[in-house]
Amino acid sequence: MNTENAMTNAKQFASDVIIGLEIHVQLNTKTKLFCGCSTQGSEEPNTRTCDVCLGFPGSKPVLNKAALDAGLRLALALGCTISPKLIFSRKSYFYPDLAKNYQISQHELPLGAGGKLALNDGTLVHITRAHLEEDPASLIHQGSAGQGYVLIDYNRSGNPLCEIVTAPDMRGAEQAREFLNRLVSVLEYLEIFDLGSCIIKADANVSIAESGYIRAEIKNITGFKEIERALTFEVERQKLAVQRGERLVQETRGWDPAAGVTSALRLKETEADYGYILDPDLVSVDITNNMVKDAQANLPELPAAKTKRFVEQYQVKFEDAMILAAERSLAHLFETVAKKFDSSFAVRWLRHELSAVLNAKQTTWSAAGLDERLLLELFELVQSRTVTDLTARDLLQKLFERPFSPKEYVAKHKLASISDRGELEKIAKKIVDENPQAAEDVKSGESKALNFLIGKVMHQTKGKADAGVARQLIMKILER
Amino acid sequence: MSVAEFVKGVHDGQIDVVEHIHRTLEECKIINKEYGYLNLISEESAIAQAKLVSKKRKGAKGALAGLPVSIKDSICVKGVESTAGSAMLKGYIPPFDAGCVSRLRQAGAIIVGKTAQDEFGFGSFSTNTGIGFTAPKNPFDRLRSCGGSSGGAAGLAQKLSVPHVALGESTGGSIVNPASFCGVVGLCPTYGRVSRYGLIDYGSSLDKVGPIGKTVADVALALKVIAGFDEKESTTATVPVEDYPSFVKKDVAGLRVGILKESFGEGTDSAVEKSVWGAIKQLESAGVDCREISLKIPIEYGIPTYYIIAPSEASTNLAKLCGLRYGAEEKIEGDFNTYFSEVRSRAFGKEAKRRIMLGTFTRMAGYRDAYYVKATKVRRLIIDEYKNVFKKCDAVISPTVSILPPRFDEIKNLTPAQNYLIDALTVSPNLAGLPHLNMPVGKHNGLPIGAMLTTDHFKEGVLVQLGAALE
Repeated sequence: MNTENAMTNAKQFASDVIIGLEIHVQLNTKTKLFCGCSTQGSEEPNTRTCDVCLGFPGSKPVLNKAALDAGLRLALALGCTISPKLIFSRKSYFYPDLAKNYQISQHELPLGAGGKLALNDGTLVHITRAHLEEDPASLIHQGSAGQGYVLIDYNRSGNPLCEIVTAPDMRGAEQAREFLNRLVSVLEYLEIFDLGSCIIKADANVSIAESGYIRAEIKNITGFKEIERALTFEVERQKLAVQRGERLVQETRGWDPAAGVTSALRLKETEADYGYILDPDLVSVDITNNMVKDAQANLPELPAAKTKRFVEQYQVKFEDAMILAAERSLAHLFETVAKKFDSSFAVRWLRHELSAVLNAKQTTWSAAGLDERLLLELFELVQSRTVTDLTARDLLQKLFERPFSPKEYVAKHKLASISDRGELEKIAKKIVDENPQAAEDVKSGESKALNFLIGKVMHQTKGKADAGVARQLIMKILER
Repeated sequence: MSVAEFVKGVHDGQIDVVEHIHRTLEECKIINKEYGYLNLISEESAIAQAKLVSKKRKGAKGALAGLPVSIKDSICVKGVESTAGSAMLKGYIPPFDAGCVSRLRQAGAIIVGKTAQDEFGFGSFSTNTGIGFTAPKNPFDRLRSCGGSSGGAAGLAQKLSVPHVALGESTGGSIVNPASFCGVVGLCPTYGRVSRYGLIDYGSSLDKVGPIGKTVADVALALKVIAGFDEKESTTATVPVEDYPSFVKKDVAGLRVGILKESFGEGTDSAVEKSVWGAIKQLESAGVDCREISLKIPIEYGIPTYYIIAPSEASTNLAKLCGLRYGAEEKIEGDFNTYFSEVRSRAFGKEAKRRIMLGTFTRMAGYRDAYYVKATKVRRLIIDEYKNVFKKCDAVISPTVSILPPRFDEIKNLTPAQNYLIDALTVSPNLAGLPHLNMPVGKHNGLPIGAMLTTDHFKEGVLVQLGAALE
């Protein structure tokens, strides 16, 4: 990039760091994009293949309409304008993971263009294009670099991908992560992406003001966390390089997750020229106004709209609403609990307690696969004060280890809270008597000592005591 | 004996299919020694198939029961080496039948072998053979070309004495051109009429499979069998298939045929002109209204348009051939780039390399708009001009090729550009996806001359009707 361009760019961008993403999302159709092979099933290499996805001479691709439907829903959910025709092109380059040495992709006319996704702080990330293409095979590198060889597994070859290209609208790795979160949330709502088994991949353009926005493209970063790591590293690398007085160059870099660094890739000049032609083996498919209208009408309420509604309808804090709405099934659960009990109860137990358990287990509500009824049963026990919060928290954890009926479990293990005030008072009296020093300290106003005594009561009752009641009783005993 | 008579004989049990196929295979071997029409004779599978038909099993009641058919080498036959005439695909045994082949099988036809061609269809004389392949020879003069690229198909159709239909494939004239040079009937159908599933691609937006045979009735019957929608091939049409054989006896009186003005005069052999005019007179005497028409853009821009679009597509179609998974291979040394470059350098013939380079250039960034994109626009103009003509005419007539079959030593001296000009009259109907037919209309010095009839999309019936009037 020359100085003049750098100046124009400097004027154009208001931010220090500029990030644009090119994301590949694997759509969860049953079969591949252009053949009848299954996208899921045997992991034995090269078993889910046919003449089409192996690129045998004579084979011909036939479009999987389910992939078009999924892509259409996604493009609409991102607010894109839909192209009136679906046209595929051949993107030619020689690489061993490409069965035909060209990839069937979209070039001239992407399925969707001109969309946007809003971030928390109001930043709009513009979606330049969203298009369909086929996944290449996977390469399995064997042996050491330079000495090794590569095995090719075509099971993945031909899986449907939707490529989403953003404008360089993100101002840092954190915003990029937030964007990805938002995107995955939309994908999950549309039920076109399987967070467990489908993979998200990205190429990222990163540049900083200090260099005059000289862009590095980081290729092929796999997975959510890696994308943020790579971006964080790259921004730092560029800043340090400029500080050291180095001149950045426009280049393509690779991300090494093991080493946690990006490094320049040596690329031949010709590799940038894909020699696009329309794929003459496929016919253009009309995307009629009716198809678009139908797809639009069948879109679910999306996370952003749901967040807004939760705030208005349930008087939930925006941050809480956002987290509850981020996952479709969690949002559904929230509404169920809010209606059955009340919204602050729902926020407390879902946004805080449930989220804590799920986070600790690094899973999500839908992925954990717990029967909603068991959770509601537990909440009833809490609501009716049959169990204390402490017991309930413990049961919540246990539910995700092995599901059970909370009601039966509480009965079997005698976990019901001690509702008999007389019995609890006896226990409190005993604790106070056994801890005279602490009792004295409480009298002289030390809250630590009071908490100590309450803790002793809770311990003695195995958490079945209501902490508030225990406090009242201890104070009453000491006042006497 | 016509194909229809033969099939009736099989249906009636008067023809012993197994005995007949043995005889046919023997004849194929004898012809092949002298003329080289077949890259491979599939003796074992032919006999096995014949036994099935004779035991009243698969295809015994079919429309082509027991009929020996040959298949151009670029069309996949399950379990039979299918190379498209290229060393690159030596050893490629497709695990599936092409759409047209499975329809032939279902109709009871028996596949006797794979016919010789220009490598991947890249030629008009069948002389651009792959490494290790030999050029088939003209059935009337072995020092001359039998045309191309479906040269083996047309030669065998002429030479084989028993009833037989050959399946050819045309991208820019590869059915009618060899049919003309071999004095047989070749019908190239509308693009999308016959499934391309299983056809080893040359230019996918241009490739069409069609029958070559001795009579219009023979090819009409074969076309009826192979035509129709195929769910495995996106570009096949759902337009209903007509009963083409029934058009053979239809009166042509009142049909309007346009005489293509630009196809006569300078550059056209006078003997060719004379024979084609003879055919026109024959049509007129049968009551056809013949009048001169002009196709300026198709004639002027057909060749450059074709030689941009076809190589552009071919260069991507051939990219998959890199020495992995099937066909030619090398000892693996060096990286992927070194490896595939070595395989491709060794196993592709000269013309294949030329068209790959040409096609890669015409779609390169910086040249793409000037060549590939522009050519696709000109193609649209060519289609429009034909469509206009068909508002006034039912068909267009011209010579198929403007010269008589040349000698091999003459062909050697042609530059690539002169070579490409041989297709001047055939590329435009191919670019427009229009059905066209070669009819033998005379001879000069013992060499056959052909006239080409072209009709509007999906009017193969009219082609059959007019063709039969010229027999």
